[in-house]
Amino acid sequence: MKVELTINGDDYACDVEPDLTLLSFLRDVLGLTGTKWGCLTGDCGACTVLVEGEPVVSCLQLACQVQGREVTTVEGLETADGLDEVQAAFVSNGASQCGFCTPGMVMSVEALLRTNSSPDEAEIREALAGNLCRCTGYSKIVDAVLQAAAQRRSAAGSSAGNVS
Amino acid sequence: MADVFIPGSIEEAVAFLADHPATAMPIAGGTDILVDTRTGRSRPERLVDLSGLRGFGGFELDGELLRLGALTRIRSIELDAELARRAAALVEAARVLGSVQIRTMATVGGNLCHATPSAEMPPALLVHEAVAEITGASGRYSTPLADFFVSPGRTILAPGDLLTAVRARVPSSTSGSCYLRQTVRWSMDLAGVGVAASVHVKEGAVSKASVALSAVAPVPMVVAGAEDAVVGTDLGSDVLAEAGRRAAQACAPISDARGTADYRREVVSVLVPRALRIAWLRATASWPEGSPAPANGVWTGMWTGELR
Repeated sequence: MKVELTINGDDYACDVEPDLTLLSFLRDVLGLTGTKWGCLTGDCGACTVLVEGEPVVSCLQLACQVQGREVTTVEGLETADGLDEVQAAFVSNGASQCGFCTPGMVMSVEALLRTNSSPDEAEIREALAGNLCRCTGYSKIVDAVLQAAAQRRSAAGSSAGNVS
Repeated sequence: MADVFIPGSIEEAVAFLADHPATAMPIAGGTDILVDTRTGRSRPERLVDLSGLRGFGGFELDGELLRLGALTRIRSIELDAELARRAAALVEAARVLGSVQIRTMATVGGNLCHATPSAEMPPALLVHEAVAEITGASGRYSTPLADFFVSPGRTILAPGDLLTAVRARVPSSTSGSCYLRQTVRWSMDLAGVGVAASVHVKEGAVSKASVALSAVAPVPMVVAGAEDAVVGTDLGSDVLAEAGRRAAQACAPISDARGTADYRREVVSVLVPRALRIAWLRATASWPEGSPAPANGVWTGMWTGELR
């Protein structure tokens, strides 16, 4: 089955098995192993990616169902200047221990910050309810999200200032 | 390994499913079906992908009528401010279903057709007098949602039948609804008990009411007799307690990992009064507009009507 889609800004056209998941497509066909293979039942969120900017668990999404759509994985976040604000905040806050859940966490946070630029702790915990971390206890993850959100707001504020 | 058929129209989907009754299964959001295939609960040879069909996603409000396409994503219900005012129970049920990722993928039709006894959408839709619109090989028909569920995992849909939309009555300014649930964990859990209530108020008294339950019977159920207990009253605490007792008697829970049958009955008798009370406050404009019910329906001063 032919699938054409955009991943991290690059166009792909591939022949895939009809019931191949987006997760397997990313990891096994394209070698984008940042997206993690966790529970395969949609519970852990380690495989979270964005489809058209919205977070989905790629283990429960068939590759053929994202035909013609735009997918963003953790590999697509880094800019020419290095890690993006969310990734950098996870590093500086020690929000990652074994690191297995981190790509999924980061993608859920990216989705949250696209629609809510100043989430409070409750909103952050709600947005991350579908991302399990067995190491950190979540406190440092919440700290990282608060910091990343603040940095994005201040960056947006200063660039708006430059325009005016 | 399953093959995937991508129909170009609802008619094509219906014809394909009718031609392959034993081996084909529809898929939309995939959040139940793909889990079932992984755990071996179902082994379809062919998946019919409905997710790309046009005209079955999204909802429209026409007066008091809400029409939800079967492919409407749970997340789009959760985030709609107009629905929060008009169909609070539905939005509250959507807010607690799975995670953001699951709600982004899962559809109303899938939540209903999977017929899980603890599913969130059924009780919320039942108190809004929902009707299922179905397209099958022999044409289209409608049926009250209360008659839709047969047993755990089974609906009245025959092979080839597809749920295409759900119609619901959404309250006017003198009506309100509420959905509450009991879970073991705060999130990513199935309801141990789910309770939805709706109340219509006329001249200071209940003119019409409905209570529906999930996770306490083989199928989502409307509580017969709940309305009789509350109509004509202003929902005083004795009346509410009686409604709770009737609901607890009417249900038929089992004991499992989420609670014993006795515990579930007890929770029903507690959550039904709270859900009715919040629905009443919404119907009488005493609840902050668009504001969700607190966890477990508890807030300071709830019995005096004083809000947080």
